[in-house]
Amino acid sequence: MSRSARKPLLALLAVLTLTACAPGGPDGGDTGQAEDRNLTYVYFTDGPDEAATRALIADFEKASGATVNLQVVPFANLEQQLQARLSGGNAPDVARLTELTPFRADLLDLGRFQQDALAGQFVEGATPAITGPGGELLAVPSDLTMNGPIINVAQFTKAGVALPDPAKPWTWAQMIEAAQAVQRANGTEFALAMDVSGHRFATMLSQYGTTYLNGETVTLDTARATAAITEFARLHETGAMPRDLWLQAGTKYKAANEIFLAQQVPVYISGNWQVSAFAKSAGFEWRVAPNPCGERCGGFPGGKFMASFRQSAHQELAAEFIAFMNSAESQRRLCREAAFLPTRRDLIASGVDYPSRPQDMGVFLEEVRRTPPDTFAANYSPGFGATARATVTALATVLTGDQTPEQAARTIRDEAQKAAVPR
Amino acid sequence: MNITLAPYLFVLPNMLIFGIFTIWPAINNVTISMYDSTNGRTFTYAGTGNYTELVNSADFWAAARATVIFASCFVVLCTAAAVGLALLLDARLRGRGVFRAIVFLPVLLSPVVVGLIWGWIFDRRNGLANTLLGADIPWLVDGRLAMAVVIFVGLWTHLGFYALIILAGLQGIDPNHHAAAMIDGASAWQRFRYVTLPLLRPTTLVVIILSMIAGFQAFDFIWTLTGGGPVGATTLMVQYIYQNAFQSPIRYGLAAAGSVILFCTLFGLTLLNVLNDRRHA
Repeated sequence: MSRSARKPLLALLAVLTLTACAPGGPDGGDTGQAEDRNLTYVYFTDGPDEAATRALIADFEKASGATVNLQVVPFANLEQQLQARLSGGNAPDVARLTELTPFRADLLDLGRFQQDALAGQFVEGATPAITGPGGELLAVPSDLTMNGPIINVAQFTKAGVALPDPAKPWTWAQMIEAAQAVQRANGTEFALAMDVSGHRFATMLSQYGTTYLNGETVTLDTARATAAITEFARLHETGAMPRDLWLQAGTKYKAANEIFLAQQVPVYISGNWQVSAFAKSAGFEWRVAPNPCGERCGGFPGGKFMASFRQSAHQELAAEFIAFMNSAESQRRLCREAAFLPTRRDLIASGVDYPSRPQDMGVFLEEVRRTPPDTFAANYSPGFGATARATVTALATVLTGDQTPEQAARTIRDEAQKAAVPR
Repeated sequence: MNITLAPYLFVLPNMLIFGIFTIWPAINNVTISMYDSTNGRTFTYAGTGNYTELVNSADFWAAARATVIFASCFVVLCTAAAVGLALLLDARLRGRGVFRAIVFLPVLLSPVVVGLIWGWIFDRRNGLANTLLGADIPWLVDGRLAMAVVIFVGLWTHLGFYALIILAGLQGIDPNHHAAAMIDGASAWQRFRYVTLPLLRPTTLVVIILSMIAGFQAFDFIWTLTGGGPVGATTLMVQYIYQNAFQSPIRYGLAAAGSVILFCTLFGLTLLNVLNDRRHA
């Protein structure tokens, strides 16, 4: 190679190296649209929803002539996989998401294509989360979860303790009293159990009259939070709740379903997704109970979204698919087959005729109606996930005696403050 | 073909792979550590901001302290136990091959499986450990006990590998050295102290360096065993980095800065070990 040719080549190599080392910039605008009708849908499954989702996809393909490549990924890898694909310019056309914040700048305005079908159709609390700064419809809340207690009816009956009336929720004091009476009568290890989760504890916080956040504003009332944490700690100190469960879990999510299924706790605070699992696995009589009321009644919501990306080369078809999957008919079918709760206002109002455990799902649906609107805002806040995770650690420090409930409440508030505004 | 180019051509494919999958990401990681990003696509230049934030973070120092405790115990116990175990495996025992296989077996297990198995064993309520002991020991509930359990499980998992390395070193020692020492009237302890140990020095150094790296990078089995708890007692540096990189709120820059600090620490410690060994060689 001649010396004259070597210099430009070296310069080119240097530029390429520097370019490769520099982090990428923001994505550009929309991509060109493809002629074909082939969609990719990145999806994670909670279990019972996969079959129903596949059936709905088959119906969509039949009706639209499109093909949908369902790409099922593990939930734990969802965010990393999507970010990697977005970075590589290879975003899927549609994705099922639990958090919108990390992708907000990349999401497609579905209202450009399906305004009539999608706008204003879904649970009101989700509106701030799914709406962009200019009113864009960035996602659709595709299913709703609701926290609430599940009780061992057999043990309640044996103890002669009255079952709670779904129409007239018990108070926290009544629930604890009932649970402890059942515990004594049946000799169970614990009276109450709650999943190791800041989301589940948010239910108790709400019933004590406060939530972590509202959008990007921290709303946690530390006095109310202190009262909730004090009661939570007392229940653990007295052995009414399994202290080890929270400490052994570290920072990981841990469900208490094994303790409930082993009939070692008569009242288990979890969520509606346990219904289809317990219908198969619980070898005793059980039912869903209404959430206990404190200052407020109702549970705490959660859920997933469906969204498309600005990178998608099938934007119109993606929006059409999302509209189809979240139509009243499709959502009703998904809810019936997977024991999910609807996000559509019409379905929440009318209810869903669940073929399995309809009474239990009815209790959860009633809890959706009772749940205060600010809990939806809290759950859909950008900082919710981080705050909920910090809550688990803060509560553990109370159980180990490293922090007082007041200090823990302040810690949670500080963490919410840090997490509230996306960086 | 020019004969002097041949060796380079042979190593070129390996060097390319090493460069693409190790060197380039490492360099890129240093760059990312000077930026702030929550999505891996939009980056804001932060200079040394991430490093400053780490140094001022109580969680970072807690993770660093836990890492030093874990790694120190892990290295010392691994090295000592590996030497002891290798001496046993080197002895002329019946069924020696079976013992060697048993000792090496945990190395073959997935760290995730290891964490889950020992998590069940050390569960306070239903765990095998408390059932066998007829005790109520809060293995994974008390911070100090949890750290001891994590060290033990780490040792159990890795010991077979290091014992095998030491065993290879033992078998590389010329038996004439021992024969000569015996003729000179050296006792078994003296032969071990003045013949075996000095000749094992290079192999032991390898074990020290490898166990140190493994100790500082421990994550997978701890994540499944304790999740870093209770109350962060077993949250080591890699978990801290993982949480910043992959758990909301995602902070790629902060995680990258943590990785750089971990790399520098490991590099420095390895260098010290090598230099120290050369000084004593």
